[in-house]
Amino acid sequence: MTTETEPRTSAAIGGMGHSVKRKEDPRFIRGAGEYIEDVVLPGMLWMDIVRTPYAHATIKSIDASEALKIPGVLAVITGADLEKAGLHWMPTLAGDKQMVLPTTTVMYQAQEVAAVVATNRYAAADGVAAVFVDYEPLPVIVDPHKSLRPDAFVLRPDRGPDKANNHIWHWESGDKAATDAALAAAEVRVSEDIYIPRIHVASIETCGCVADWDAVRGQLTLHMTSQAPHAIRTVLALVSGLPEQNIRVKTHDIGGGFGGKVPVYPGYVLAVVASLTVGKPVKWIEDRSENLQADSFARDYHIHAELGATKAGKITSLKVKTIADHGYTDAAADPSKFPAGLFNVITGSYDFPNAFVEVDGVYTNKPPGGVAYRCSFRVTEAVHAIEQMVDILAHDIGKDPAQLRMENFIQPEQFPYKTPTGWEYDSGNYGVALQKAMDMIGYADLRKEQAEKRARGELMGIGISSFTEIVGAGPSKDFDIIGIKMFDSCEIRVHPTGKVTARIGVQSQGQGHETTFAQIIAEELGFDTDTAPYGLGTYASRSTPVAGAATAMASRKILDKARKIAAHLLECAEDDLDWEPGKFTVKGSPDRFKTIQEISFAAYTNHPQGMEAGLEAVDYYDPPNLTFPFGSYICVVDIDKTTGQVTVRRFVAVDDCGNIINPMIVDGQIHGGLTMGFAPALYESITYDELGNNQAGTFMDYLLPTAVETPRWETGKTITPSPHHPIGAKGVGESATVGAPPAIVNAVVDAMWHLGVRKIDIPMTPQKVWAILHEKGVA
Amino acid sequence: MEFSGAVDIPATRDHVFAFVTDPNRVGACGPGVESIEVIDATHFRAKAKVGVGFITARFVVDLEITEQRAPDMAIIKARGQAPGSAVDALGRMNLVDGAEPGTTTMLWAAEVNLSGMLASVGARMVEGTANKMIGQAFDCMRAKIVAEG
Repeated sequence: MTTETEPRTSAAIGGMGHSVKRKEDPRFIRGAGEYIEDVVLPGMLWMDIVRTPYAHATIKSIDASEALKIPGVLAVITGADLEKAGLHWMPTLAGDKQMVLPTTTVMYQAQEVAAVVATNRYAAADGVAAVFVDYEPLPVIVDPHKSLRPDAFVLRPDRGPDKANNHIWHWESGDKAATDAALAAAEVRVSEDIYIPRIHVASIETCGCVADWDAVRGQLTLHMTSQAPHAIRTVLALVSGLPEQNIRVKTHDIGGGFGGKVPVYPGYVLAVVASLTVGKPVKWIEDRSENLQADSFARDYHIHAELGATKAGKITSLKVKTIADHGYTDAAADPSKFPAGLFNVITGSYDFPNAFVEVDGVYTNKPPGGVAYRCSFRVTEAVHAIEQMVDILAHDIGKDPAQLRMENFIQPEQFPYKTPTGWEYDSGNYGVALQKAMDMIGYADLRKEQAEKRARGELMGIGISSFTEIVGAGPSKDFDIIGIKMFDSCEIRVHPTGKVTARIGVQSQGQGHETTFAQIIAEELGFDTDTAPYGLGTYASRSTPVAGAATAMASRKILDKARKIAAHLLECAEDDLDWEPGKFTVKGSPDRFKTIQEISFAAYTNHPQGMEAGLEAVDYYDPPNLTFPFGSYICVVDIDKTTGQVTVRRFVAVDDCGNIINPMIVDGQIHGGLTMGFAPALYESITYDELGNNQAGTFMDYLLPTAVETPRWETGKTITPSPHHPIGAKGVGESATVGAPPAIVNAVVDAMWHLGVRKIDIPMTPQKVWAILHEKGVA
Repeated sequence: MEFSGAVDIPATRDHVFAFVTDPNRVGACGPGVESIEVIDATHFRAKAKVGVGFITARFVVDLEITEQRAPDMAIIKARGQAPGSAVDALGRMNLVDGAEPGTTTMLWAAEVNLSGMLASVGARMVEGTANKMIGQAFDCMRAKIVAEG
């Protein structure tokens, strides 16, 4: 581990380690971003969607006659219309299938039932209200445990008689027999049920698109707000039968993605069908309630965990059984071989030999679940469970939770470390990160204060989370989504004037890609960051670990060629050249040099004979392993006994994401991530009544913290570079969202442990905390 | 949602039964009812405007008396829709003689399932609103029966 190092490049070049200001901010700050709602095309029509009030019902008939009488309403599209063209079902990224529009049965409240196309948004809305659908309600299943019962109503008869149940898949990892034996032999066992509720990313920009079918050219342009435009293009080609090269998916600025804008929603397909039908551009924009009720959701994991340890607190074994509520279809964007994502990273930062994890995916009458919430691939769920279990163990044996962690951490010399569930952690130095967090927050003094307060009857708690993240999916031998390998790419072209255009394979959702990728090129080649504008984007998160590596590798290919040109220009051997960012110098002759700009010009005007002109390179980077960022967070809470209100008084976050490209952007990512970890810990959850009605359909019921509620974050860092990544970076966008919730939960439980409280599920609302305090006779 | 209660009405069972099974008389007491269409002796269609919290919806409700035994009991089934919302209800009424001669006690129970937008965004207010509407409906019925003499 190292701490801060001086940047290798000058501030003028602005390579790695410089807090270069984000190129995209001026347009965002001035309100000059271009979001999907800003797209207005000549002759554009509007589409609005009829949605079912019932969570499960048979459709007896749909009568659109009254809607079609409304001035401005041009068409009403139903499932029967789509069925004629075979468009009523579409594939999901998880290999399941999803209805575009139902022909016989609706599966969740607010599911799309018909689309109304009109000349303006108001007429479209009036049209929606006038479409009459005759339903026959069916039994509703909202509880995945009930869904698994043998007598449960089969929700997806379309899967055929062989699958006459609601079980989607079973996935397991680790050694069951060894884990059972270790648990049986353990001196101490801790067993808990932990539920992580359904939550929604609630991007401020809802989903939407403008579909523009050009019948003359046979081309479809889809303007949309998507994190995965290439995947959308592939699915659209599969569903519509249009040749993929005739489909263009154009993504503008994105007003928040976080995983919610990866899936293909029926609205997109309907807008395309509408444009194909009427021959004009068609815009569809979700309203807030549609967004909160019908998009794909995150989490919804029912976890049962058992932890075995010695009396002294050395962890020996972990066994986890989980029910994953996927709603009516599995539309998660997990890699194909990992239906429960990377959930088996659940052994966390700890060194123990035995673990067994199993997950069962289950259908219910809810919208699709299992998409990301600023953490793809179920790492949040894993960290949430292990970090709580470790704290409960510490309390049970009367050991300080920080001390217990220190005694169980994988030690720096053990890396690369093979976990009992098969991951190979590339690097880590967990004890140093936790010690730094403890020093920053003044841990020992806080424990003294807590003891004094407890003696006075006040409720104060301190919670720790020492998480290990797993990002940068992934090596192509294991990672693909519907067959598409999860490599990523970068193409760099240096122009004769010494300016650079780069095209990367990842889509920015506001993370600052335009800036950080330019900085990687600046670091590698010495072009100042202003000259490295960025173009086209495509796939999901994983940006720095995979596309960042591709950018560095492509830069290095360019540097190899630049060296040859420099040797030619300086009339020396390549070996006689020294490189520093921005120029090649002849060894021992500091006045004999060529700048990268001069070399760029020469690449087109005076390159060596036999060499191709130009200075460009492409790299498809297939990562050899994932990267494993980590951190230690400590949270201090005070609980108001009379109201149950939890106040986060202090929160220290020490993150290690390897080498840092732009410290300011990393800080911003951590602040945002912490806030998105704080939110589900205390506020957010989507619940359903027994009829399957979503109980959080507006921001009045789905509570988002604002700047007023959000605590002041105190951040620190350690730097443990990834040994296999070209620039030693690891990725940071999700770490804080993953690490923060258990720190807050552990703090709240710590405040109430002496009252007999072992566990509390998120969100820890005042009602929930007050009810516990009341039951314990405190409130 | 399940509701139940008992209402004392200063009229005979025959009178009360005739009133509550006549859509043209009882209809005006239904919450938010704007019109009643009689399809046959046991089937009716009502249009009603219902507000929960900040949302108002205009429901079209089909009602059917599925069982009746004058002047003792009746069961009525209702299914209605408004844009984005639906309601399914089953109501049961038993009439018994009241404590005072010539009076009736109506024992009633209703199971109401609300689905869709109103249930989703009005969830926290639905039960309170429903209780208020039921109270108003019975007050109205009692007043009208008394006025009929």
